[in-house]
Amino acid sequence: MEIKTGDFRVWDEGSTIYFDGIMRLSGSEAYAPILDLMMNVLASGASTVTLNLTDLEFLNSSGINLLAKFTIETRRHPEVQLVVRGAQSVPWQSKSLRNLQKLHPSVTLLVD
Amino acid sequence: MATFGSADIMLGATDDISRIQLFDGPLEIGWHHCAMTADFVGELFAIRVGEASPDYREIRHSIGYLVNELIENAVKFRAPGIIAVEAAMRDGTFRVKVSNQVDRDTAARFQGLILEITDGDPGDLLIRRIEANAADPTYSGSGLGLLTLMSDYGARLAWVFNPSADGSRVFIETHAILPVVAPVAH
Repeated sequence: MEIKTGDFRVWDEGSTIYFDGIMRLSGSEAYAPILDLMMNVLASGASTVTLNLTDLEFLNSSGINLLAKFTIETRRHPEVQLVVRGAQSVPWQSKSLRNLQKLHPSVTLLVD
Repeated sequence: MATFGSADIMLGATDDISRIQLFDGPLEIGWHHCAMTADFVGELFAIRVGEASPDYREIRHSIGYLVNELIENAVKFRAPGIIAVEAAMRDGTFRVKVSNQVDRDTAARFQGLILEITDGDPGDLLIRRIEANAADPTYSGSGLGLLTLMSDYGARLAWVFNPSADGSRVFIETHAILPVVAPVAH
């Protein structure tokens, strides 16, 4: 499945969800289709789910809340390992991704 | 008048201020104006350190994130009227004030929110608020943007509330300061 606008693209390949571009949607309702895509991958039965954020250049706080909500959802699936892949060179990622580990200490955070 | 936060955060008369005003009528202020204006302000101030600077990307992004969050709040909660963005750089610190009008009830709710999000360590409060938000789908999530600014970006915030003459509206100024990496030279 793929969600695409002029600013960003989100899609899944196997149990990896890729994010690309700039996401600054107006709130939880606007982000709901993306959360649905993520929840479908979580429900697929994969033992590892990866969020690949390395090409997501900008995310507003509502989008950070989306990632946080999904992280909290994965706590209810202890059989699933959540891997979050980011880039140190993308400022929002170097500043805000550590919050996901505070919400769910077993998240594997790979920030290159 | 009611103020929240320290006076040293507030944009001063001696600052060399750049101003942008978003007018409701001709612009029909919408969501895309948040990002457009924030990107412009980020570029305007980051360009002063030069695109070749190792700090350029970081400064442009951090200012862009800060201004975007403040304008998003102004657009989301405003009563019809002008949204003004005033910004300056002083001693390596970016300073911004976003002004807009809200109705009286919104102002009262926002004051309550400010008391909650400034009562403790912003990093802890952010995590607690995210948890509360996830546990209750009806929870608005308000305040998360301001908490990420304080927790993840090291921004300091202050607010001024001024009721209109007839008491039906309240003028809100949100002030923020953000340490940026390098002092700025023209």
